[in-house]
Amino acid sequence: MKLEGEHVFNGPREDVWEMFYDPAILASAVPGMDKLDVVAENVYEGVMNVRIGPVSGKFQGKLTLTDVVEPENLTLTVDGKGAPGYGKGVGKVNFTQNPDGTTTLKYDGDMNIGGALASVGQRMIDSVAKSMIRSAFETLDKALEARLAAKKTGTEVNFTPPTQTEFAAGVAKDMVGGFTKVPELRLILYILPVVTILVILALVLGK
Amino acid sequence: MAERVFHKSILRNEDPQILAGKAQYLDDIEIPGMLYAAFKRSDYAHARLKSIDVSEARALPGVIGVYTAEDFGDLVKPGPLQVPPPTAIKGATYASRTIMPIVKDKVRYSGEPVAVVIAESRYIAEDACDLIYPDFEPLDAVIDLEKALQPGAPLVHEDLPSNEAAHVIQERGNYAEAAAKADVIIKKKIYVDRVAAAALENRGIVINWDEKAQMMTIWCGTQSPITLRNATATRMGLFENQVRVITPFTGGGFGPKINTSMPDDVLLTELAVRLNRPIKWYEDRRENFLATTSERDQVHYAEIAVTKEGKILGFKDTFYHNSGAYDSYMMTVPLNTQTHTVSNYNIPNFYTEITMVFTNEMVVTPVRGAGRPQGVFVMERMIDAAARELKMDVAEIRRINLIQPNAYPVSTGIIGQDFVEGVLDSGDYPTALAKVMAMIDYKKFREEIQPKARAAGKHLGIGICTFTEGTGVGPYEGAKITVGGNGKVSVATGVATQGQAHYTSFAQIAAEQLGVEVKDVKVITGDTGAFAWGAGTFASRGATVAGTAIHLAAVKVKDKALKLASKILETPESELELVGGYVQVADIPGKKISLGELASMANPMRGTFPPGAEPGLEAVAYYGPPYGATGAGCMAMILDVDAETMKPKIERLVIVHDCGIPINPMVVEGQVHGGIQMGIGNAFFEKVFYDETGQLLTASFMDYLFPQATDMPPKIEMGHTEIPSPLNPLGIKGVGEAGAIPTPAVFTQALEDALYDTGVEIMESNLSPSKVYTYVQKAKGA
Repeated sequence: MKLEGEHVFNGPREDVWEMFYDPAILASAVPGMDKLDVVAENVYEGVMNVRIGPVSGKFQGKLTLTDVVEPENLTLTVDGKGAPGYGKGVGKVNFTQNPDGTTTLKYDGDMNIGGALASVGQRMIDSVAKSMIRSAFETLDKALEARLAAKKTGTEVNFTPPTQTEFAAGVAKDMVGGFTKVPELRLILYILPVVTILVILALVLGK
Repeated sequence: MAERVFHKSILRNEDPQILAGKAQYLDDIEIPGMLYAAFKRSDYAHARLKSIDVSEARALPGVIGVYTAEDFGDLVKPGPLQVPPPTAIKGATYASRTIMPIVKDKVRYSGEPVAVVIAESRYIAEDACDLIYPDFEPLDAVIDLEKALQPGAPLVHEDLPSNEAAHVIQERGNYAEAAAKADVIIKKKIYVDRVAAAALENRGIVINWDEKAQMMTIWCGTQSPITLRNATATRMGLFENQVRVITPFTGGGFGPKINTSMPDDVLLTELAVRLNRPIKWYEDRRENFLATTSERDQVHYAEIAVTKEGKILGFKDTFYHNSGAYDSYMMTVPLNTQTHTVSNYNIPNFYTEITMVFTNEMVVTPVRGAGRPQGVFVMERMIDAAARELKMDVAEIRRINLIQPNAYPVSTGIIGQDFVEGVLDSGDYPTALAKVMAMIDYKKFREEIQPKARAAGKHLGIGICTFTEGTGVGPYEGAKITVGGNGKVSVATGVATQGQAHYTSFAQIAAEQLGVEVKDVKVITGDTGAFAWGAGTFASRGATVAGTAIHLAAVKVKDKALKLASKILETPESELELVGGYVQVADIPGKKISLGELASMANPMRGTFPPGAEPGLEAVAYYGPPYGATGAGCMAMILDVDAETMKPKIERLVIVHDCGIPINPMVVEGQVHGGIQMGIGNAFFEKVFYDETGQLLTASFMDYLFPQATDMPPKIEMGHTEIPSPLNPLGIKGVGEAGAIPTPAVFTQALEDALYDTGVEIMESNLSPSKVYTYVQKAKGA
């Protein structure tokens, strides 16, 4: 599975970079991540709960950062396995400072998935992955905002990561968003209320 | 004269029991003290197993044992070949690498078992699987058939120089010479993808080792009970009569249930004895997709040499056949492809070359059609390509190339799955084609209906293809028929039944000879305790081979009854007949004796018994054909395609079919219907999809799209040409795979015809709306 895209952070590159290097923040950004421990320089280990359609379970994972050129780019290698299967991915992440003070993060990666995750869950992997990435960036946006505010005022960082429930709601919202992109379904969503109103009108007028 | 019951649509003997829910299927079998098995399967398609930690799983309450390769000692070795290698074909080379019962050090397909759990319940067994931690070193997987043969490709079997599993060239005439004389030569690359048998009932097994009786009973929906019994006895050092295999009612076989010495039967028979407890294992659907054999993927490079009048001078087909990770079933499937490529056309020059390839995918063995649909697909697509090039009508180009009815027997020069040269025993292909054209109003469709539809912006296309079905191959089957003291007739044969109505059609064959009611014949199939000779249910051979053996045994019993009755009734045998359960004197009403009485008299309990006599009214007979009986047919289809969504709708489907003399025409129609449904699935819906790392991405019915009732045509219009086979006394030919064989070819042809305005050419089966859309975009140059 190919994963690529970009995201603009509302802050300078050094701060975005620094945030990326904080395991607590990274862990909070990945939905379902129970913990993420630093085991060596640029090597993290964690436990993640994954739920994709009918497949769910705990993943033991290792995250390694290589080719680190601060604050420009790094390569992320993820290697996880558990009862629902395994996932192995390599992604290049690139940070560009924009003239307006924002930072563009570009990612380009390849993910291999195996086991029940692939054989039963593949239909949903794509949308769940996209949901997870979108949700992660939303979290990181907020985290960055909190960090920048704290830096400005010199106070403690005041940031609460989203809960599992909030993430699940996000995925559900994305799925519905997907549905409304199907013309027939959209039609039903529009037509149903119209028909209902017409029926009510007919009943009222009939009296 | 007795009422005939052969060649008659009689309601099925087995249906009252099945429909009332009173039939015993495998999962209905529960034995006190029974344990349940689950397999821990590899998530990787190709990997080295470095170690495996089962300690947590063993500690789970309710787990009886967790076993890995090291617990099975000598059992962990390649299993026996299921089918012999094609040594009859000159120059054939092959490497036999048969399936392993459990992974010892290397995984070769995703789903290969690395451990087996035995527990008090299936739930516990599955939970324990989650607590098993194998340590794999992943290896690059081999998936693409052509890349697999390139130098430097990872090796599925590292002791071999390459991933080539076998290589066979067969030729009749001389293609090169034919090509030199041809006006037009067309070359195409053609793909056929993989499908699952997807039987309603998955595979499973129940084993009971009775220590005091020293008897092992195995219940299993196998297509090959005798092979299972013999292999089990051999492996376990038991006498063959210490192992009894019983096939209960089974919800569909379609090929994959022919395999024995699979991981489940090898490991679980061993554990049942070791633990001295009955064991049950049943696949779930994901396991079925992952670890039950499937079939069909081939890549063909085909060449057709034609004159400008459309006469086919020669055909050349070089193809790659996916064997999967092992090749226990050897070359049955690709040999069937070779024998079915040009079989019904008169093509004097034919070159066909197989390269069978090992890949990191599940093992390939026959699925209903078994190589035949691929051969027909390639031939029919190439004829269509020629028709397009020559601007000929697709029906006409077929008509002028068909083998004529006076040509039989036709030697094909190509050795098939039964290791003898294929011979077409009988048939009438031009009549079948003419009948189909008449039934579907071909002329009217081309001249009126289609132009009108096209003018109205509709995309209505027609497909018309012919095919043969090699059936009823050897080696042999047998049957034992016994008349009871109550006059009821027992028939026992070695083939097993998975829903083919054997309990009825076999009973009809016996009843016809013995003059009894069909419902008074009890047929036992696939119980080695009742009959233990024969090869199994495959190649549409049950009715032809076992059916003929039953006929021969019934004739013997009839002769015995006549001989004995002749003495008792003091009437010459020639004046006697078997009617309504009696042997009677033809012209004298009331002068008769019942079969039951005769059977009792032939089985005296006191007194003397003449030398050389045999007790009872019982006989055993065997039948083996010199070569298979070839069924054939022609199919046409009208498709209405939505050119925007590429969703096809089958408006009409017509098939004219020849299976010789049908024992029960209703059963034949059912077989053809079922085959067509699978064929439609193969053409457009179903596809077993492995990604480039060998992960199976279609392991549930959410992703493996099965055609539904709404995807079927409103009606299957069927006609018959009944050309009796001269190979057996009943004139029968098999029919089990007929419907599945031509359907993808006809469907694709109709699809192209429907999308005429796009100029699209589709050299691939297992399509989908998005795939067709991609083809159309490509054709449009978009």
